[in-house]
Amino acid sequence: MKEYDAVVIGGGPAGMAAADVLGDHVKTLILDENDMLGGQLVKQTHKFFGDHVHYASTRGFEIANKFIDKIEKKPVDILTSSTVIGIYPQNTVAYVRNGHEDQVKYKKLIIATGAMERQLPFINSDLPGVYGAGAVQTLMNQYGIFPGKRFLIIGSGNIGLILAYQLAQTGVEVRAIVEALDKIGGYEVHANKAKRLGIPILLKHTIVKAIGDESVQGAIIAEVDDKFNVIAGTEKEIVVDTICISVGLMPITELTEQAKCKIAYIPELGGYVPVRDERMRTTNPDVFVAGDLSSIEEATTAMIEGKLAAMQIVEDVKKIDLEKEISNEIKTLAIFRSGPKSLKIRSGLEKMGIVTPRIEMPKFSPLPNSENGKLHAVIECTEEIPCNSCESACKFDAIKVGENINTPPVFDPLKCTGCAVCVTVCPGLAIFMEKSDESPNATLGIPYEFLPLPKSNEKMWGMDRDGNYVCDLTVKRVVKNPNKTYIVYVDLPKEFVDVVRHVTYPRKENPFVCRCEEITVDQIEKVIDSGITDFEEIKRITRVTMGPCGGKNCKMIILGIISKKTGIPISKLSHGTSRPPVKVVEFSAFLRGDKK
Amino acid sequence: MMKHASVVVIGGGIVGSAIAFSLLKMKTKNVCVIEKSYVSSGSTGRCAGGIRQQWSSPMNVKLAMRSVKLFEEFEKDVGMNIEYYQGGYLLLAYTDSEVDDFEKNVRMQKSQGLDVEILTSNQIKEKFPFINVEDIKLGSWCQSDGHANPQLANIAYAIAIRKMGGEFLTHTTVTGIDVQNRQIIGVQTDNGYISTKIVVDAAGFEAPKIGSMIGVDIPVHGERHQILVTEAVNHFLDPLVINFNHNYYVRQTHHGSLMMGQGDANPASGEDLGNTIEFLEEMSEKMIKDFPLLKNIHIVRQWSGAYDMSPDAQPIIDESKDISRFIYATGFSGHGFMLAPAVGESVAEMIIHGQTVTTDVSNLKMDRFTIGIEREHNVV
Ligand SMILES: Cc1cc2nc3c(=O)[nH]c(=O)nc-3n(C[C@H](O)[C@H](O)[C@H](O)COP(=O)(O)OP(=O)(O)OC[C@H]3O[C@@H](n4cnc5c(N)ncnc54)[C@H](O)[C@@H]3O)c2cc1C
Ligand SMILES: Cc1cc2nc3c(=O)[nH]c(=O)nc-3n(C[C@H](O)[C@H](O)[C@H](O)COP(=O)(O)OP(=O)(O)OC[C@H]3O[C@@H](n4cnc5c(N)ncnc54)[C@H](O)[C@@H]3O)c2cc1C
Repeated sequence: MKEYDAVVIGGGPAGMAAADVLGDHVKTLILDENDMLGGQLVKQTHKFFGDHVHYASTRGFEIANKFIDKIEKKPVDILTSSTVIGIYPQNTVAYVRNGHEDQVKYKKLIIATGAMERQLPFINSDLPGVYGAGAVQTLMNQYGIFPGKRFLIIGSGNIGLILAYQLAQTGVEVRAIVEALDKIGGYEVHANKAKRLGIPILLKHTIVKAIGDESVQGAIIAEVDDKFNVIAGTEKEIVVDTICISVGLMPITELTEQAKCKIAYIPELGGYVPVRDERMRTTNPDVFVAGDLSSIEEATTAMIEGKLAAMQIVEDVKKIDLEKEISNEIKTLAIFRSGPKSLKIRSGLEKMGIVTPRIEMPKFSPLPNSENGKLHAVIECTEEIPCNSCESACKFDAIKVGENINTPPVFDPLKCTGCAVCVTVCPGLAIFMEKSDESPNATLGIPYEFLPLPKSNEKMWGMDRDGNYVCDLTVKRVVKNPNKTYIVYVDLPKEFVDVVRHVTYPRKENPFVCRCEEITVDQIEKVIDSGITDFEEIKRITRVTMGPCGGKNCKMIILGIISKKTGIPISKLSHGTSRPPVKVVEFSAFLRGDKK
Repeated sequence: MMKHASVVVIGGGIVGSAIAFSLLKMKTKNVCVIEKSYVSSGSTGRCAGGIRQQWSSPMNVKLAMRSVKLFEEFEKDVGMNIEYYQGGYLLLAYTDSEVDDFEKNVRMQKSQGLDVEILTSNQIKEKFPFINVEDIKLGSWCQSDGHANPQLANIAYAIAIRKMGGEFLTHTTVTGIDVQNRQIIGVQTDNGYISTKIVVDAAGFEAPKIGSMIGVDIPVHGERHQILVTEAVNHFLDPLVINFNHNYYVRQTHHGSLMMGQGDANPASGEDLGNTIEFLEEMSEKMIKDFPLLKNIHIVRQWSGAYDMSPDAQPIIDESKDISRFIYATGFSGHGFMLAPAVGESVAEMIIHGQTVTTDVSNLKMDRFTIGIEREHNVV
C-alpha cells in the first residue's frame, strides 16, 4: 500500500491551497471525487471577492485553473474521479476510482470535503423542477444545460443572489428571490447586481408549496411573521417552472467522524463541525481540516486554512520552523474575519475556544466629490465586506482600502485618471464611470456582462437600481476586457447619471414608469401630446405618482419625459407636493387602545 | 393670449370651467378662462367628488337634480369619462332630531320629484352588511346620487373649452380689473391685459379678493377641510355614506381606494392647507368603529383643501348691483363640485339672457343676507 507524508481529501480551494504548500516539502496526495480539481470554484463564473493575493476579482473557474497549473508542476500526486469512502484504522484512506476500490496510508491527513446544500421542506418539494442551487449551477455553468425558463429562488444569501444573476445572464427569467428573514443574507453589492436587473427580493417570505402534477408549474409563496410562521391570507401564486433552493450549506463531516475527530454542534459555523485548534488540527493529532468543512465561509478563508494546516504538517513531519509564516496567515485570517459579516463566524469560533483578535478598522473620512468635467469612477460599496480588488487594481493610488480589507474603499477623485480598470475588476460590479459638465447630457460607464454586446450608437433603455425603466439612452462605445466584464459607455440626460445603473435592450412592451399604478411611458407621452404638459395635470389624468409610493420611485422619470417632450429643463418644471404619510399606515395603527 | 374677450372667467376650477363651457355651448365666442395655477389646483382638485340631491331646501334640491341630469350626460357632452357612478348616497341618523329632519326632508325631496326613501336600521344592515349599525336609528337613501372624479371633470372641461375655441390660460394670475363709470373695461394679469365688458368671479374661496379689487364685498371665507385616501381594495361600497353625527363622509373611488373626510372641530383658515395627525387619528377611530372591515386597510395619503364658506353655507350666485356685468359664483361651502354643471348653465343663461331659464337660483342671490338667512345644516 502506498504511503504519503500527507493526504488531502477534497480538491476545492482549501485542499488545493494545502497541496500547493505541501508539495514544496513533503510527499503529497490529493484526492477528489470530481473529474477535475476545483471544488465549488469550477461552477462559479463570477469574479471572487477577497484579497488580490488570494485571487480576488478572478472568476471562480479561473482560480481553479491557476491552482491546478501550480500544483501539477509540483511533486504532488493528483487522483481525480476518486471518491473517498472511509477512513480506517492505521491511518488508512479507502477510495473508489473507476469502479475499483483502493487504499493509501497517510502520516498526516487534511480533510477538506467542503459542504452540502441544506434542504427545505415544503409541499411537493419532491416534484421534478425543484433543485438545489448548486445542482442548477453545475448543470448551467459546467454542462450548459438549462433546467427551466422561469425561476424562483429561495434564499437571499450570496449563493442565491449570484445564482439569480447568473441565470439572468443566460437570458432566462428570475421571477423572484424569497427570503424568510427581514434582511438580505448576502452582500449588498451582490443583491444590487440582481436588483438592477429587475429581480425582486421579497423579504419575510417563504415558499409554501410547489404546484404541478408531473413537474413544477408554479409556486405558492407567502409572508411569514417574526417566528417564520406563514401569515394566513398572504399566499400568492407565481408561475415558474423551476424552484432553486439555496437556504445555506452544511459541512460534510462523515469522514472526520470516522477519523475519530470530535464533532460539535455550532450553528454559527454551519451546524455540526469538527472541533479544531487555530492551526486547523482536530482532536486527532494526525488529522487536520480546512475550508467549508470547518466553517461555512469563503474561498479566501478556505485557502488560508488549507495553507495553515499544510504548514503545521510540514513543521510536524519535517521539523522545519514555519512559525513566522503561520502567525502571518493567522493574522490575515483575523483581518479577513474582522468585518460585521463575519460576526457569526467569530462567535462560533469562540465557542471552540478560538478567539479572533479584534482588529480595528480605520475610519477614512470620505473625500469631497469633485465634478470637474472629467471622466472619473464612482464607487458604490459601503458595506464592510472583505475585499480589496479595486485598491489593488488602481495604479494611481486613487482608491484606498488599507490593511484591513473589510474597510470600504475611499476614493480620491483628484487622483482618478478615468482609466476604469477598477470597474472591470470589482466583483460586486459596484463601480461606475461618470462624466458630467455644463452640457445637458452626461456620460456614464456601466459594467456589463451580458451578450450580445451593444454597439456604438445603439439605442437602449437605462434602468435604475431596482430594474425600473428610467430613460432612453445612446451607447457611445463599448470597452472590451479580457476578464469579460465589459464597460458600456452611454450618453444620457445629466439628471439620470446617478439613477441609471444598468442598460438593457428596448423591450417590446412599453416600460412601466409608475409601477404602483402601472402607467407606461407611452400613456404619459400621449397625454403630453394632447397638449397637457403640467406635471399636476398629467398626474390627475393618468394617476402617476398617486399610488402608495407617492412618486418616490418615478417622479424624476416622469419629469424627465415631460422635459424631453417639451424642451423645458427639469429645474423649471413644477413637481407637485409631498403629502403625509410618506409610507402607508393601517387605520389600526392610530387606535389609541392599540398604541404601545 | 387673446386681446379681447367677450367674457373673462376668473378661476379655472370646476365652477369657472363649467360656466365657460356652458357659454361656449350656447354659442358665445371669445370666452377666456384665467387660472393662476394648473387646472384643478384649487378646491376642485382636493375635493371628494360626492354628488347628492338630498338637500334641505327645495331650490337646492332642484339645482342638484339638474346637475345630476347634466352629469348623466357629461361624457357625451363634454367628452371624457369622469368615473361618474350613481351608487347612491346613504345619510345616517342617530338622534331623534336627525330622525325628524330626515323624515321632513325626504317628504319635501319627494315632492320635488326625487326618488328617495327612508331605510330602517335593519334595512341598512341588510343592504350594507359591513356597516356597524349600532345606535343607527334610520337612514335616508337616494340611489341616483353618486360620485365622480372632480380632477378629471375639471380637466375634461378645460380640454373641451379649448376644443370649442375658448381660451383657457393656466399659470396666469388676475392682478386687477379696470372699471370706468361702474362698467368693466378690462382685466389685468401678470401675463398681459385683456379687454372685456363681462367678468365672472369664480375664484373659489379667493373670490372676495377679486371682488375687493373693484370694491365689491363678497361674504365668503376659506375654511380648511382635511381628507385622506387609502390603498385600493375590491369594490364593496356603492354609496357615499355621510354620518353627520360622527361627522364624516366616505366613498369608494373607481380606482378602489376609499376617500374620506370630516369637519374639524376648529377648522383652520383656507389659506392654511396643512395636515394634522389628529385627523388621521380621529378618522381611524371612526372607521374602525363604523366599518370594522377597514381596520387593516392602509392609509396612503392625506391632504386638505378649502371650503369656500358663505354665512348660510349656501352658494352665492348673483350679479353685482354696483359694478355692471360683474357676476360671482362662489360660497359653495363644500358642495360646489356637485352643483357646478347646473351652476355653469345658470350663470351662462344669466350672462346671455339676463336671467336664468332652466333652473331657478334666485334663492342664492346676495340680498338674502340682508333679508334674513336660513342655514343649510346638512353639511359635513
Ligand atoms: C454560488 C457560490 C458563490 C460563491 N462565491 C464566493 C466568492 O465570491 N468569494 C469567496 O471567497 N467564496 C465564494 N464562495 C464560497 C467558496 O466557493 C467556498 O467557501 C469554497 O469553495 C470552500 O472551499 P472548500 O475547499 O472548503 O470546499 P469545496 O470547494 O466545496 O471543495 C470540496 C471538494 O471536496 C470534494 N469531496 C467531498 N467529499 C468527498 C469525498 N468523500 N471524496 C472525494 N472528494 C470529496 C467535493 O466534491 C469538492 O470538490 C461561493 C460559493 C458558492 C456556492
Ligand atoms: C376636502 C374637500 C372635500 C370636498 N368634497 C366635496 C364633495 O364631495 N362634493 C362637492 O360637491 N364638493 C366638495 N367640496 C367642495 C368643492 O371642492 C368646491 O366647492 C368646488 O371645488 C369649488 O369650485 P370652484 O371652481 O369654485 O373653486 P376652485 O376649484 O378653488 O377654483 C378656483 C380657482 O380660482 C383660481 N384663482 C384664485 N384667484 C385667482 C386669480 N387672482 N387669478 C386667477 N385665478 C385665480 C384658483 O387657483 C382656483 O383654481 C369639497 C372640498 C374640499 C376641500
